[in-house]
Amino acid sequence: MLKKVVIGLVLSLIVSISVPLFAAEFPTKEVQIIIPWAAGGATDLIFRALAATTGKYLGKAVVVVNRPGGAGAVGYTECMKAPPDGYTLVSAITPLTILPHQVSTAFTYKSFDPIINVVRDPGMFLVRSDSPWKNVNEFLDYAKKNPGMITVGNSGAGGGVHLIALAFEKTAGVKFNHIPFAGGGPSVTALLGGHVNAVSVSPPEGIEHVKAGKLRIIALFAEKRFELFPDVPTVKEQGIDFTMGQWRGLAAPKGTPPDVIKKLHDAFKKGMEDPVFIKNAKDMSVNLSYLGPEEFGKLMAHDHEFYGKLVKEIKK
Amino acid sequence: MLESLQNLANGFGIATTIHNLFYCLIGAIVGTLIGVLPGIGPIAGIALLIPATFGLNATSAIIMLAGIYYGAMYGGSTTSILLNVPGETASVITCIDGYQMAQKGRAGPALAIAAIGSFIAGTLGIFGLVFLAPPLAQAALAFGPPEYFSLMIFGFIVLSNVTGTSLLKALMMATIGLIIGTIGLDPVTGDTRFSFGSVSLLGGIEFVAVAIGLFGIGEVLINVHQPKELLDQRVIVPRFRDLYPSLQDLKRSIGAILRGAGIGFGIGLVPGPAPVIATYSSYMIERKISKHPEEFGKGAIEGVAGPESANNSSCQSAFIPLFVLGIPFGPVTAIMLGAFLIHGVSPGPLLISQHPELFWGVIASMYIGNFILLLLNLPFVPFFANILRIPKRILLPLIILFCMTGMYTVNNSIFDIWMMLLFGALGFLMRKWAYEGAPLLLALVLGPKLEVAFRQSLMISHGDFGVFVNRPISMAFLFAAVVFLSIPIIRIIFKKKGGEGNRDKVKG
Repeated sequence: MLKKVVIGLVLSLIVSISVPLFAAEFPTKEVQIIIPWAAGGATDLIFRALAATTGKYLGKAVVVVNRPGGAGAVGYTECMKAPPDGYTLVSAITPLTILPHQVSTAFTYKSFDPIINVVRDPGMFLVRSDSPWKNVNEFLDYAKKNPGMITVGNSGAGGGVHLIALAFEKTAGVKFNHIPFAGGGPSVTALLGGHVNAVSVSPPEGIEHVKAGKLRIIALFAEKRFELFPDVPTVKEQGIDFTMGQWRGLAAPKGTPPDVIKKLHDAFKKGMEDPVFIKNAKDMSVNLSYLGPEEFGKLMAHDHEFYGKLVKEIKK
Repeated sequence: MLESLQNLANGFGIATTIHNLFYCLIGAIVGTLIGVLPGIGPIAGIALLIPATFGLNATSAIIMLAGIYYGAMYGGSTTSILLNVPGETASVITCIDGYQMAQKGRAGPALAIAAIGSFIAGTLGIFGLVFLAPPLAQAALAFGPPEYFSLMIFGFIVLSNVTGTSLLKALMMATIGLIIGTIGLDPVTGDTRFSFGSVSLLGGIEFVAVAIGLFGIGEVLINVHQPKELLDQRVIVPRFRDLYPSLQDLKRSIGAILRGAGIGFGIGLVPGPAPVIATYSSYMIERKISKHPEEFGKGAIEGVAGPESANNSSCQSAFIPLFVLGIPFGPVTAIMLGAFLIHGVSPGPLLISQHPELFWGVIASMYIGNFILLLLNLPFVPFFANILRIPKRILLPLIILFCMTGMYTVNNSIFDIWMMLLFGALGFLMRKWAYEGAPLLLALVLGPKLEVAFRQSLMISHGDFGVFVNRPISMAFLFAAVVFLSIPIIRIIFKKKGGEGNRDKVKG
């Protein structure tokens, strides 16, 4: 109990320093963001940082609450059931459009009103720097000649980077041997130890080892090259029309009044443009990508359909 | 070697600035509190405090967060010893003999030896971290899925009968643990298993709920079950001179502490539930080599000193893969990685050369932090030991309340509280009929990892079982497991008397 008090004091101190009070009708109390994953993960860190800079633009504190469990289902179900008054939001990330195809959930993306997209990170394949493949075409040539022989690690069965690997496989017309690990860290470890041939990851996973020359980006599924590695071409440049990645944004329960959505959107957009947040995001090497409510909604709808087809194909 | 010492000296310069000393102290205090409270562990504690470090520079932030981690290892033993409630997963084993010591009025020596052992092992662990980090991290990479599988099999066979009572009952409990471990999403295909449509069961059953339920709640229920007179009567008042360990206690413990430090350091390097395996192994070894194994389970001080030392040194060596490879091997270091990233530092092969001030500053702060923790913990021993003076009719409801709030803070989930109470009822029945909880918990931790490693190995090898015996490290573990299994059989065949061979005896 004492510990909670200490943490509470520390947090309220921070909040009270950074939040001046404006008079406005909508936020009359703090706004909470439900993160359906454990504290300390990439999603959690990004939205904690965004919450810290958005409070002053919204006029009330933004609080992050973790509701992990059920591969995200627990948190999404809870937000779906919350009153649509703008005080309970949820971090809408790619798995929101994947999970409903895999298990029977009470929600889909349609149970939520989109507010803003914050981050979009491309998917990529890494190999060890001593591997024989120098570019994506050599890699795919080998895969074509040896179907099912190249082992590709991912961060969890049915998760985002696993599906990216499956979609890439389909586009390129090859067959990999997919090995699931419990997270991006363990899959990169297995690659470093030479236990798998390649891994499907999303930045910042493995980036440090690429910098240190131990690993190489063999396939980058982005629209344009990384600022950090200007020499690494995208697969699109090498003749394979494939881009795919993961996004992270915010949504509210269905039926939240449009003017409340607009107020939230405007505040979070300013929070995103705050130099402190931009620096935090850069430090975490995530790729900021703003989308308004309408475009974000279209993105979710598109991916929902896309993943639905993909998941059906795997289940065959 | 000399360069390391030179760098370490610079690190002390950084760690001893007033600013950093202050954050080291805060980390140590918060860590101790988190460790003392059941349920909430270092993972939740660090995660909650990361936002509080936004305004600090990276070095101070990491110093504070690392302090919470190893501080929690100190505090974790307190409730295990006093109340039979594991403060966090690494102190499950401490319940066995620590609680028995407390029931005999020796809570003071148990608490003190846990702090002393933690200090010695923590300090030795940091030495290992300074001098051995880069080569050890490379060695850890040799562990792929097949090696990991064989290690788990070995651990399973050797550790499942950790308390050495009835092998049959231990295996029954381990089987239940394995079954419970399959609940939730299938780790390879993502299908749901045994969740019966419940969203709360998709993520599996929370380990902490099982641990607190079986040990803490089960113990409370057993107490309530006693005749009324006994409940009022058995208030333990520790004698003052018994508050700290005697010379005899220290002599008995020092070997256990050093062995525990070694075991913990080695196992901390292996990905996965290192503190659990390290503490179980240390307990097992102490019981096997002890001159008086009959005392184990009834309040042997080595049974507290060894595992408590092991969990502290495993916590230091767990930083090696994080610092050198930038890869967290366990959930706590995964949270630490998040903290590094948010401060613009990416741990990895370039960390030591690019951020020497951070690396050496944090290492030096760990020496200081361990010393602070020893000074912080020892004076509290009499205070904590006196908690047992509270009459049981008041203490027992408080423990339940304490467990419930602690449980809630882990995932903010009411469902977890129900699970904890359910396992409390199971724990009560198990205690009543002399079934041990430790093998069940071990199986619950190892089972899912074992399954994943097994399936990953076979996927990589395209279904060829040879992958487990063709690789030297994996082969060695399997061979050791076979040898261990065959010892009792060989004994029965060659020895005439069956005295040692069949150790099954019903307890209590």
